[in-house]
Amino acid sequence: MSFWFTVMRQVGRNLRQTWGSQLMTLLTVSLSVLIFAFFSLIYTNMINFGEKLGDDLSLIVYLEEEPGPELQQQLINKITTFDEVEKVRFISRAEAYERFARQLGENRDVLDDMPKDFLPPSIEVVPLKNLRSLNQVKLFSAYLSRLPGTLKVQYGQDWVERFYHFTRLLSIIVLLSGTLLILTTIFMVAYTIRLTILGRQAELELLKLVGATNNYIRTPFLLEGLLQGIVGSSLGIVSLYALFQWIKLRFSGPGFLNVFEFSFFSPAVSLSIVCVSILLCTLGSYSTMQKFLRI
Amino acid sequence: MVELIKVSKEYPPDVVALKDISLSIGVGEMFFVIGMSGAGKTTLLKLLCSMEMPSGGLIEISGKPIAQLRGYHLARLRQKIGVAYQDFKLLTDRTTAENIAISMEVSYKKPAIIKKRVRDLLDQLGLADKHDTITGELSRGEQQRVTLARAVANSPTMILVDEPTGNLDAITTERVMNLLNKCNKAGATIVIATHDDSIYRHTSHRVMELRRGRLQAISGGLP
Repeated sequence: MSFWFTVMRQVGRNLRQTWGSQLMTLLTVSLSVLIFAFFSLIYTNMINFGEKLGDDLSLIVYLEEEPGPELQQQLINKITTFDEVEKVRFISRAEAYERFARQLGENRDVLDDMPKDFLPPSIEVVPLKNLRSLNQVKLFSAYLSRLPGTLKVQYGQDWVERFYHFTRLLSIIVLLSGTLLILTTIFMVAYTIRLTILGRQAELELLKLVGATNNYIRTPFLLEGLLQGIVGSSLGIVSLYALFQWIKLRFSGPGFLNVFEFSFFSPAVSLSIVCVSILLCTLGSYSTMQKFLRI
Repeated sequence: MVELIKVSKEYPPDVVALKDISLSIGVGEMFFVIGMSGAGKTTLLKLLCSMEMPSGGLIEISGKPIAQLRGYHLARLRQKIGVAYQDFKLLTDRTTAENIAISMEVSYKKPAIIKKRVRDLLDQLGLADKHDTITGELSRGEQQRVTLARAVANSPTMILVDEPTGNLDAITTERVMNLLNKCNKAGATIVIATHDDSIYRHTSHRVMELRRGRLQAISGGLP
């Protein structure tokens, strides 16, 4: 009889004998993976969304007067003194009027009675891609607002700030659920293996006396932890995928979710989550064996 | 096969179970250890199977000091020693066959061989109908025979038997002794601890008497 055949028989016997606690552990591991993966998925999508928004980020500097060519060059010099920018574009009063009228579309006739120069001239500044943190954007905005002749600087402050705080909150939740995943998997698996060891004390003692090697006694417990990790985490990821598909199907069509373009984890990320869970479960099993299995 | 040189075993706080036992048991010998309850018979067997370590002295089995054996080497030695414990050490929630098979499973014997050996032993010990019975439901005499079957199942080179006939009638005692004699003839060294004089009274093998942990006398044996 080969080593692995004997070990697998032992694992099967253990699972049959302690199926209740094994099931509880399996559900806990699955739930932990599900919670962690759920928040990670939202966080990853939010970060992707934020990056997409960041690509379109531009700061609008409203000016008191329309600058002449010389002043335009001076302003460009001043702006680039702060940092390199991707693009600086001057928008005259007339151009601003035209753009506004275009945006109004069919309702542009509301502008008929308005003078064509009622909108202030502005500079559209598109920062470089590396200028992405909220603080940097704030600093740049403050710098621009101090330029001579500036009325106001706009970049959708409120929205950007809210989004930034939301992603920060999400990152904390991901961190917490990650900690929860680590703690629950390690402790629950360790606790189950401990119960199994205590319940089989007499058998383990006998195995030792009839000449079972350390590997013969320990490997089934390690495999139990490994199995908990494989089945538990796979179940968690598959449940999340099912949930994701259901939400996508349920909320498809024009709406909020279409703006966000939600996407699931790549196979590599899913596999990484499963692998880390397996590692944690095996670690939990190993630590208990070191503590309670005296061979 | 077995060498004991000035072996002592003390249990805290100050119980002397064995004191300065020196002894040699040859390969293929059948050796009886006798003495009253508390004489140290069980302790001696526990030391021989490395279930416990001596407080002093040296024990060698096949030339290897067993106190120095660890891990894999200790496990291999234990596979070669079959022990029938006085308290049986049976898994009372498993069947008779499973209990006997355990000693062969640890040395990775093929399932077909295990099955055949288990049936064979049960036949020899008059337990053929108890193959699938949970050992917790067996009588003490039957449990004792299952323990013996487990001890000899893996064809060990040394068999240690603690009070093998304590719960048995005369016929079953004869069956048990026949099995042990058969193993002995096949080359196994047998050490039997007993206070049942019916099994060693007319023996030609050596008999060692222990009294209060000390070697009192060794008698018998072919010159």
